[in-house]
Amino acid sequence: MLFSCSKRQTSFGEFVNAVQIPNARLRKLFRCGARIVTGWVVLSVLAFISYRLHFSVAAVASVFLVAVMIESLSGDFSASAAVSLIAFAYLDYFFTDPKLSFVVADPSDFLDLIAFLLAALVITRLVSRLRLQERAAQVERRRTERLFRLAQELLTLEPKTAIDSTCLEPFCRVFEMRAVSLFDQETSELHSAGESHASLGDRTRDAYLTQKDSDDHLTRVSTRCLRIAGKTQGAIGFEDLDECNLMAGPLAAIAATVLERTQAFRSASQAVATAQSEAYRSAILDALAHEFKTPLATILAAAGGLQEAGPLKPAQMEMTETVETEAAHLGQLTSRLLRMARLDRDEVRPQMEWIDIVSLAEQVVERYSKLRTGRGISLLKGCRSAETIIDPELVRLAISQLLDNACKYSDLGSTVTVTIDDQDDVIAIRVSNTGSSISLVERHRVFDRYYRGTEARNLASGSGLGLYVARKIALAHGGRLELEDPTAADGTTFRLIIPVSKSEAHHYDLSTAAN
Amino acid sequence: MTSVQQRTSILVVDDETSLRQALRGSLAASGFAVEEARTGEEAVEFAREHSFDLVLLDINMRGISGVEACRRIRGFAPQTGIVMVTVRDSEDDKVRALEAGADDYITKPFLLRELVARLRAVLRRTHSDNGASGSILRAGNLELDVERHILRREGQEIHLSPKEFELLAFLMKNRDVPLTHIKLLRAIWGAEYGNELEYLRSYIRMLRKKIENDPAKPDYILTEPWVGYRFHNPSDPDSPKPQSDESG
Repeated sequence: MLFSCSKRQTSFGEFVNAVQIPNARLRKLFRCGARIVTGWVVLSVLAFISYRLHFSVAAVASVFLVAVMIESLSGDFSASAAVSLIAFAYLDYFFTDPKLSFVVADPSDFLDLIAFLLAALVITRLVSRLRLQERAAQVERRRTERLFRLAQELLTLEPKTAIDSTCLEPFCRVFEMRAVSLFDQETSELHSAGESHASLGDRTRDAYLTQKDSDDHLTRVSTRCLRIAGKTQGAIGFEDLDECNLMAGPLAAIAATVLERTQAFRSASQAVATAQSEAYRSAILDALAHEFKTPLATILAAAGGLQEAGPLKPAQMEMTETVETEAAHLGQLTSRLLRMARLDRDEVRPQMEWIDIVSLAEQVVERYSKLRTGRGISLLKGCRSAETIIDPELVRLAISQLLDNACKYSDLGSTVTVTIDDQDDVIAIRVSNTGSSISLVERHRVFDRYYRGTEARNLASGSGLGLYVARKIALAHGGRLELEDPTAADGTTFRLIIPVSKSEAHHYDLSTAAN
Repeated sequence: MTSVQQRTSILVVDDETSLRQALRGSLAASGFAVEEARTGEEAVEFAREHSFDLVLLDINMRGISGVEACRRIRGFAPQTGIVMVTVRDSEDDKVRALEAGADDYITKPFLLRELVARLRAVLRRTHSDNGASGSILRAGNLELDVERHILRREGQEIHLSPKEFELLAFLMKNRDVPLTHIKLLRAIWGAEYGNELEYLRSYIRMLRKKIENDPAKPDYILTEPWVGYRFHNPSDPDSPKPQSDESG
């Protein structure tokens, strides 16, 4: 493998780079050896020249010291120490008396030698440490620069609803990696950039599944889990990333922010899309209901005209009456649909009026019983009357809606029970049916707009707006609409709670006083 | 043209051809002399040239709106009865139409007999100047002596506060006329009133308690949702019944 990514671009580095060495430690050893050999060659040349020119020990020691200092600039203390020892040996062998022997006769020479060795070691130690520090600072600066550049490139990208290669390419380019893969848990999709030689994608997905970070030095693959707000939301894998133990963490942090941004954008666009489709649906309901009104008015006018134009035979009269009745019924249905669409879309503006809610409920039940629903409707009154300030039209609509719902989801021939109770400061209207209960999963969704029970979708007709609008009406009156907890018996009970206003006298006093 | 002079003349204004034609046939069968107009502009022009007893005016039309056409026709034909055709959810339009001088409105879709009843009621009012100019107003089992400030129900005198009396008298004088909240407030409390719906509601409630058999199911003082109130005489066969309720 070529280590083209090396940042130590000294002359030795270049030489060493030309040779293929697989292991980093071996590479380091080789580089150190090469430095020692070079130092040895330089010293040998210097020793030879000095020996021929008969330099004194002190002069040669100075020359050697300079050479050792230059050597120590490489920042490799062990190589410099070895070169210092070689210089020490050369001084001893060639320049102290007796010459060409390691024996030192003159004690002052001995002192010179010791002084040289100490000075050489201290200097090389200091210089190489400085050099190392400087290099570390350089590496650190470069690393920061790259991270900054990457962050900047990613920030300038347009927000997208999904991670794609344009989000990952900057990682590859800035950090000179072979390949990058990202697994997005939310979409369960794997995204990649670059060309992997070590099945990076699979390993990234595995990293998410096992929730473990890893660094494989042999294939140079690193994987990191991406955590957003303490939860693992995906994983990223790098192939051929230098200093992976140092860099994988910060890169994963950047990738996590990219993922978070994408997910946020995705949910925001989904919310917009949902809102749009709901508005569209509402608009269609509205338009449909409106478009129906004129043809219905025409049918009714024509049917009425036929009766007036008469004389009709009894059978003809009956038929025109059927046309009239059914068209009028269709008119009521479209009016209600239109009303619902309007209530669904706009804020509910109750038109409050003092009214006895018990007799209002009674009227609704009475009228509903006349419709041919095929179910019995029984009314149980817990109180005789309860006056309060409500919008009678809206409350009537809400109760009708509950009755409608109870009939729709009960067996033919069963009984729907309506009970009215006065509880302290609220009126509770409960509408129960038998034969159908709402599953636990569906309980919390029944009030959702356009939600229809899984069974209902096949069995009963409806717009999915009824309960949603009924609840909206309850809320507009300061009340609520609830689904009661299931009892042992099969069936469903909805409870409409409307607060009772106690201030009727107060209202009247106020207005009387104002006269 | 001879029949036009004998029968009640009505101008039907609607931009929907089929509805216009159905209404023409049916109203003709019900004894009206019918003319048609397709737009508000045409209606104003027509009404200026011929004098109609009644104008049935759709509120939603291309060109000038029904409300604007109503205002213009009312400008030169104070004796013509104007009935607006509206849709259920355009309460603001209804209020605007009444303020622009319409005598009544009917909500689409409607039964022919409901429409005819309303047209006849409007006609009766416009021709007899409300038919309520006398000092004693009667409706059902109620008898209101305007001058002596006395209300009798089935012969029994019922005590009313001065404001309650004024309100009931105003409603009875304008029977079968939809009266907007603002109109009622200004007529009874004064021109500076208009938003004090609470007062009105409280008074209507007290009146209903005093005159209705079942205040929750009123026979006399009917609520026109989002618009106002209308006094109805349950024992008058010519008095149009309220339009069938659509929410049940």
